[in-house]
Amino acid sequence: MHKRQNSSHLIPFIAGGVVLYFLSGMVDELRVYQGATIAVYVVAISSIILLTGYSGQVSLGNGALMAVGAYAAAVSHISWHLPIVACFFVAVIAAALGGALLGAAAARLSGPYLAGTTLALAIGLPSLANQFSILGGEQGLIFDVGFPPLSLGQDFTQYKWFFWIAALATLIMMWLLQNVLRSRYGRNWRAGRGNEVAAQLAGINTARSKVLAFTISAGLAGLAGALLSMTIGTVSPSAFPLALSFSLLTGAVLSGVTTLSGVMIGAVTLVAIPEIADVLAHKLGTSESVTTNLPGLLVSALLIVTVLFVPNGPVEQHRARSAKKLAKNK
Amino acid sequence: MIQRSALLTWGINMIQLINTLLIGITAGGIYALMAISMVLVWRSTRVINFAQAGMALLSTYFGYEAMVNFDSFWIALPVAMIGGAIFAALIEVIFMRLLVKHSSSGPIASVAPIIATLGLLGVIRAVVSMIWGGQDVRITGPLSNDGFSLGGETLVFSPLKLLILASVVVLMLLLSLLFQKTNIGLALRASAYAPEIARLSGVKVDLVRTMGWALAGAAGAVAGMFQTVNGNGTLSPDSIEFSLLLVSGFIAAVIGGLDSLVGAVIGGLLLGILISFVLMYISSALFFIAPFIILLIVLFIRPQGIIGAKAGRRA
Repeated sequence: MHKRQNSSHLIPFIAGGVVLYFLSGMVDELRVYQGATIAVYVVAISSIILLTGYSGQVSLGNGALMAVGAYAAAVSHISWHLPIVACFFVAVIAAALGGALLGAAAARLSGPYLAGTTLALAIGLPSLANQFSILGGEQGLIFDVGFPPLSLGQDFTQYKWFFWIAALATLIMMWLLQNVLRSRYGRNWRAGRGNEVAAQLAGINTARSKVLAFTISAGLAGLAGALLSMTIGTVSPSAFPLALSFSLLTGAVLSGVTTLSGVMIGAVTLVAIPEIADVLAHKLGTSESVTTNLPGLLVSALLIVTVLFVPNGPVEQHRARSAKKLAKNK
Repeated sequence: MIQRSALLTWGINMIQLINTLLIGITAGGIYALMAISMVLVWRSTRVINFAQAGMALLSTYFGYEAMVNFDSFWIALPVAMIGGAIFAALIEVIFMRLLVKHSSSGPIASVAPIIATLGLLGVIRAVVSMIWGGQDVRITGPLSNDGFSLGGETLVFSPLKLLILASVVVLMLLLSLLFQKTNIGLALRASAYAPEIARLSGVKVDLVRTMGWALAGAAGAVAGMFQTVNGNGTLSPDSIEFSLLLVSGFIAAVIGGLDSLVGAVIGGLLLGILISFVLMYISSALFFIAPFIILLIVLFIRPQGIIGAKAGRRA
């Protein structure tokens, strides 16, 4: 019984995969592409939830770590001609290494200090990519995962192929992550977040536990970065602006940073916001500078509203409310 | 002959050294202003205001509008300061109080202010881009930014930079007078040191808090205006200058111990000079990453800042 609680079942994830498989055959191209983007965001947001929600740290370095993953994947594909699957592994490992370094520094920092430090990193790191010719400068590198295999049929589109790769990687990652969070490590993180001194007294090495959270979170960010650059087709400094870290933070807060179960809410919202902004701009018939900045405004406004009114996310809020109701009825 | 050329090289090296130092001090003065505005907010609400750069950006646009209407930098600067102060006060009254009310408990209480001010930064940036985003605008400084000449050599240091430096010094003197010699300053210090006791002694802590934000807004506005004219004079909503200003202000404040105005000034100057020397003598490619590395070094060696928390609170 004990063991059963501690490992997440594989079956729901497989079932989810099967549903996605049939779904991808029914919707049009744009939706398939958006589906791939949602998968990317799910991984990226989980990375933030793991860090912020489970270990109580705010980092704005996720965009930078995604860039590390994306560049690692592209370089290993172009320079070392590794197969695509291996490229994704390299992305995860490279970003995780970066995250471990950052985490070792971050374990000594708390709250605003860490946020400020990672903010400085997020602004500084992408510009560094321009300095190395192997990274392709401002134009960046091409990251081409190739055409879908012919065995999948003639009408199997490129976007569908992206979606399949992204969705599969996401499902595997989410399953792994879910299990990590239910393991000893997940409990250590929650204990450290709740009360660091108490956790230390209970024998948890909180510094090491934080570094581990950073490392795993960075690995996830690296994968997300590689997947993102796959859907765009290129890796360049401009693909990982500070705004990306911001929207991911919004997605995470919207999903509820204390639980992984709301992660789809954040991911879908992030994909939907540009479309909503588009519709709004059309309705209002506004100027170009308003149209281009409307998504950014919506993302940030949503971030503020969520933090102010549903700080723990809608899922957790709902659960708390129904728990209260249950207690009352008894 | 050899001696003369050696002397000449020595002279050029000296001029380069002085140039680097003066550029660093000027930039450092601007960072110090930004750091002061972050410290003022930290002292009054215990929040690092990541929206400070956005507020400075907005204030600089206020200054630009005044510049368009009156064509004088010396009208634009106070307009930017007053506009920045009013805006910051409004943010504190409307936004921060709401934040304290709603998110002061729960698992993310400790990170909620960080996230909220980041969201605020995003909103301000988006709105500024919507209003002024069409094209870059220019703010011309009151003096020329062409370097002084010294014995046939042209320095990078210019009348404008000298003016900036002088204004920064004057502002800091005024600020320290305000803090040390007036009742308002006493109230500001008291509420930062012990809000409860200050309240019991009859200080209107909420009002003082708003005033701290307003002062911070004004300081940020000056930093934004000077940063713009000290650069190439162009102003654009997504200029990297303002991201840099945010990071530098934060780092300078951290070097100074986050709690001390004197520390913020020292931190700003130190950071400006350090960055200037790194760019000149190591590599100009390190422009964006140098502040980050300096910050990491500071946090590892002396995380409490050069002016320790206890000494800092008195300043």
